[in-house]
Amino acid sequence: MFGAHIHLSHFGAMVIFALLVSIAFACIGRHTAATRVKYALLSFLLFLAIGLGVAWLMYPLSR
Amino acid sequence: MATEAPLTESRPKPNPAGPAIVAIAAWIVPGLGHLLLRRWGRALGFFLTTGGLALAGFALRGEIFSPHSSDSFGALGFVADLGSGIFYFLSRFLETAGPDISRAAGDYGTRLIAASGIVNLLGVIDAFGIARGWRG
Repeated sequence: MFGAHIHLSHFGAMVIFALLVSIAFACIGRHTAATRVKYALLSFLLFLAIGLGVAWLMYPLSR
Repeated sequence: MATEAPLTESRPKPNPAGPAIVAIAAWIVPGLGHLLLRRWGRALGFFLTTGGLALAGFALRGEIFSPHSSDSFGALGFVADLGSGIFYFLSRFLETAGPDISRAAGDYGTRLIAASGIVNLLGVIDAFGIARGWRG
């Protein structure tokens, strides 16, 4: 932003994506603050778990 | 019987701005459509998530698709990027160094910028639905 650059690993980019998209989903899908926090947390953890799971499934293909 | 938790956002009063105005406002400035509907939490959420994804994408030097793309992937990318509204229009000022997709980080940035637009388009649909009374 304004010329600033950052370097992220694939995992780091996935964490940013998962966190922000989970918050957006929670804003759409839930109405109270407490349920939004729970929903965002669950969605974030599922993003990470499924992402890591798919990464490990694809690991043999990279060798 | 458990009582329902109180709503953090009160139901909006009849909205002086029409659904089309709300949708256009929500597209141009992420969260503005919800702000017009007095949905403070959603307004803040959409502004922060759309802006966060776009700024992270710019910082990673992702590619911003132009309207003159020659292939369908580029055209879809343009539609996705355009969805982020003001962040798309300000992208040339926010990503001054230009894209660098020769590195993996630049490719991640391209995806984050597109995701920013898609998230905001979801917000536009949500705000339009609330303004029309289709959504709570």
